[in-house]
Amino acid sequence: MKWKNRGKVLAVVLAVALLAVLLFPFFAMVSTMLKSAKEVYTSPPYWIPKHPLLSNLWSVWREYELAVYFRSSVIIALGAMALNTLITVPAAYAVARLRFAGRKAVLYLFLVIEMFSPVIVVIALFKIVAGLGLLDTYVSLIIANAVFTIAFTIWMMNGYFKSIPIEIEEAALIDGCTRAQTITRIMIPIAVPGLVTAMIYSFIYAWNEFLFGLTFIQSKPRMPLVIGLYQFVGRWTTQWELLNAAAFWALIPVLVLFYLIERRLVAGLAGGAVKA
Amino acid sequence: MSDRTLHIPLQQRLWNPEARLAYLLLTPAVVVLGVFMFYPIFYVFLMAFSKANRISQITGFAGLANFRDLFGHRQFWVITVRSLMWTALAVAAKTLLGMLIAVVLNVTFPGRKAARMLFIVPWASAVPISSILWRWVYHPNYGLLNYTLTALRITSSPPIWLGDPVAGFAACIWVDIWIGIPFMALVFLAGMQAISEDLYESAYLDGVNWWQKFTYITLPGIRHILLIATLLSCLWTFNDFNVIYILTRGGPAETTDILITSIYKTGFEYRLFSQASGMAVVTFIILSVLSVIYAQVYFRQEKS
Repeated sequence: MKWKNRGKVLAVVLAVALLAVLLFPFFAMVSTMLKSAKEVYTSPPYWIPKHPLLSNLWSVWREYELAVYFRSSVIIALGAMALNTLITVPAAYAVARLRFAGRKAVLYLFLVIEMFSPVIVVIALFKIVAGLGLLDTYVSLIIANAVFTIAFTIWMMNGYFKSIPIEIEEAALIDGCTRAQTITRIMIPIAVPGLVTAMIYSFIYAWNEFLFGLTFIQSKPRMPLVIGLYQFVGRWTTQWELLNAAAFWALIPVLVLFYLIERRLVAGLAGGAVKA
Repeated sequence: MSDRTLHIPLQQRLWNPEARLAYLLLTPAVVVLGVFMFYPIFYVFLMAFSKANRISQITGFAGLANFRDLFGHRQFWVITVRSLMWTALAVAAKTLLGMLIAVVLNVTFPGRKAARMLFIVPWASAVPISSILWRWVYHPNYGLLNYTLTALRITSSPPIWLGDPVAGFAACIWVDIWIGIPFMALVFLAGMQAISEDLYESAYLDGVNWWQKFTYITLPGIRHILLIATLLSCLWTFNDFNVIYILTRGGPAETTDILITSIYKTGFEYRLFSQASGMAVVTFIILSVLSVIYAQVYFRQEKS
């Protein structure tokens, strides 16, 4: 038994050491957002604020107009999530349950394009968005974010639909349900955990998305949060104590949402190798 | 199913009520992907074989001239090799560190659940925001990294992280590694927990040491997972735009650019749209190969 305890002690020591390294930027964020500008711009810096204050957390809403960016990000992420769901659910049902020529090929295609980089198409997409008169609109980001998530969410939902016993659906069809009714009354309610995972995934993706926001949006009121924060970096007047406070607020929603779907997300990405 | 469908005439297989419903349900996905993904890919190919002006309008056919131009540039090869190095080094580091964390989390110790949650934070966090936080950590005068490195006596003259080609590359690749570690750790952990306890117990009775247990039981037990996670990680790492763009914007003087950041800068900053499209085509081909391998492995596992 003795070596087992030694193993445990070693595991705790390693966990603490690794976490100290991995959480470093978040410790720095908390340290900085609790300091006054004077303390932040002291060289060499130090970890523990001498006069910790919470005022940065409140003043950032006034001085950065954080609410404007939050509003944009919420609109874009909810929009992308809704569009993604509308497209994903029927498509996933079709590949999971219906027999048609080319089903395998369609599934395969979705899996291959799942990982395509937005950078490859961003030049052409910029032209399309400009051509449709959608530059500097929420709609451009809603569409772009939905497009780059549907391949993965269709795959995930396909897995959830397939795991529902087909007998349940057949019984409903025999009892006189139409196909549409079996989807809305049986399949979707049973697949709710999977559906919620897919929806949260597309929300987080849009919330964190940087490239399209950088390219399509020019005016401040429509900038998503991450672009808004990026605009404050690199200026010679960067107020890092405020920027760290803003980052703290911006991270809260994604962290909460991510923990809700983390296990299912890992299973969806790694396929049959990992069970949810 | 495949046996049965083989005997049904093709026309009936393509056009029956069930298939028609499937096409209908797939239409929104196909239309949206067609307009906003496949058409843009086609257009990028078109542009790569055309002349384009500074506002990205196609002005004529160029044949292979763009590619000859691109392949003739030394900088293109430097960036391509750097992209491959970036991917190889980062994925190797993510795999090793992810494995270490999975091994640690596979030991039952008090606070393990909390530790697992904390280990996920770098993945759960938004990449652009993490990159901004790291940029502050790397700050030469006020950043806490150099202060801590000096205070712990790890080095007495820490580098100016984001202002130097070598240190800048190291700083960027570390942030990319840092983001990718949690996924690896979680997947490996899930794999390890699926290995039967009996195997370890009989190994214990046989008196093998922990290293032998790791190499003879744990590693073979997670080899499928290892493969798929590594492939996925290669795709993510190769595609990483945000970290480099936010930390250094490819600088100083393009010394930290990889293909993905270079495509964007060549297009939207230098306004050389044909060249950018040429690079995008090369990148597309590399990514397609990786994606097809990933899809093959994924499908094989779905079946087994």
